[in-house]
Amino acid sequence: MTTRESAREIADQAAEWATRIDSGSIDRATDFGLRRWLDEDPRRQGALLRAEAALSFVDRGRALAGVIPKPEPRPVWVRRKLMFAGAALAASLIGVAILVTAPNRYDTALGEIRRVPLSDGSMIAINSQSAVEVSMHRNAREVALTRGEAWFKVAHDKTRPFIVSAGRIRVRAVGTAFSVRRHDDGADVQVTEGLVETWTVGEEERRIQVAAGSKAYVAAYEPPKIVQASADVERSLAWREGQIVLEGETLDEAVAQFNRYNARKLVISDPGLAAEKLVGQFSATDPQTFAGAVATTLGAKVEEEGDTIRLSRRSPQ
Amino acid sequence: MAQSRKDIVAWVGSHVLPHEAAVRAWLRRWTSRDQDIDDVIQEAYCRLAAMDDVTHVSNGRAYLFQTTRNIVLEQVRRSKIVRIDNVTDMGSLSILDEAPPLDRVVAGARELQRVEQLIEKLPLRCRQIFVLRRIHGVSQREIAQMLGITQAAVEKQATRGLRLIMKGLERDDKLETSEGESGDYPRERTRDR
Repeated sequence: MTTRESAREIADQAAEWATRIDSGSIDRATDFGLRRWLDEDPRRQGALLRAEAALSFVDRGRALAGVIPKPEPRPVWVRRKLMFAGAALAASLIGVAILVTAPNRYDTALGEIRRVPLSDGSMIAINSQSAVEVSMHRNAREVALTRGEAWFKVAHDKTRPFIVSAGRIRVRAVGTAFSVRRHDDGADVQVTEGLVETWTVGEEERRIQVAAGSKAYVAAYEPPKIVQASADVERSLAWREGQIVLEGETLDEAVAQFNRYNARKLVISDPGLAAEKLVGQFSATDPQTFAGAVATTLGAKVEEEGDTIRLSRRSPQ
Repeated sequence: MAQSRKDIVAWVGSHVLPHEAAVRAWLRRWTSRDQDIDDVIQEAYCRLAAMDDVTHVSNGRAYLFQTTRNIVLEQVRRSKIVRIDNVTDMGSLSILDEAPPLDRVVAGARELQRVEQLIEKLPLRCRQIFVLRRIHGVSQREIAQMLGITQAAVEKQATRGLRLIMKGLERDDKLETSEGESGDYPRERTRDR
């Protein structure tokens, strides 16, 4: 032997043999040339398997797309038709992709918190200004969080994994409860019951498990990490009950939370007031009561004008 | 009882090959030489080819990761590959947990998209022939008649298409992007020692 053939060169030869076997030009079991080629270098067996597997992989595309091979005898083709073969394939593949996943979409408006019971017994609570798409399949339950935040109470079913996608991020549960909140560059995953797995597309080997009471931040382009393991999880999910629970947040942060749910916006006109810290539990959709509590506890003044509730310091007596 | 060759090929095509890009991306953390990676991957397929039954392998992805890791470790022991940066890391790193990969429907939809993309990237003539043959199941002889070319010419294009598809399967664009941005972690760790 002069020089050792590279894996690449062998792969190229294997593609040729695989094509010839596939077309019926040669018989895999008896062809003498093939047998000799295989015997000359033990690596070639692997290369041929890979080439044939690649053909099989492409053929699965056909099976998935439900394109049935033309039955014999085939109609006479006109040459012009071929021009469209590629386009027709693309169209048929796309059509099927839509059929497979045709989801139910749920949107929530500002201030709306929607509970959606699913056919499998699971429940989704969708936070204000959010959107989810639910696709139920025989062997999978898929939910795409296209916007905002949602909490999932997943009915136990080992045979149908429940997978939430938020952009590149995936969260998988068996029987558990968790929430996912989308951000521009990732998502927060908070678990209230059981255990979930989360990962980023293309980084499946770096998946992590998030247990009840923990919160993970999953960035779109970094390995996921646990950022918080505390009772805060239950609290930050109080929105499911239409509640906002404050435990030392500043007025500024609290106002931002209320404004997530209401068209009547709270506005703080005094920076000193904005930094005041608050404790308490309020109805998310009742900013007036909250404003009243702020007036009492912080000595603030409340002015209502149209859709704005203005909070300011009471002028000194 | 031994499985038929056809069943094994189909299993490799559906459970192993789709994960090759991820394994290659992973191997790239330890060696930057493409030939070394090609050799390791090829050896992994050789081991698969030597099996006459694959029904005991429950997770093709995990199997491919495990096998390539073993091959790298063996080759390093025999000093065949010298440019492995850090072997102990590779030996101890848990490459995959016990959880099964994505369920079939999700994976299926993704694969469908990948097949579509791979075919789209083929040069026009090659794509026409590849689509007729693989997607519409038209025989090589009929394609030759339709296009008014020889069967040998059809076979040549089909071979060319398969080669390009095989090369395409080595890479996953989505993987490449994320590798570019976050693929430095393991190397950073190595330098700390």
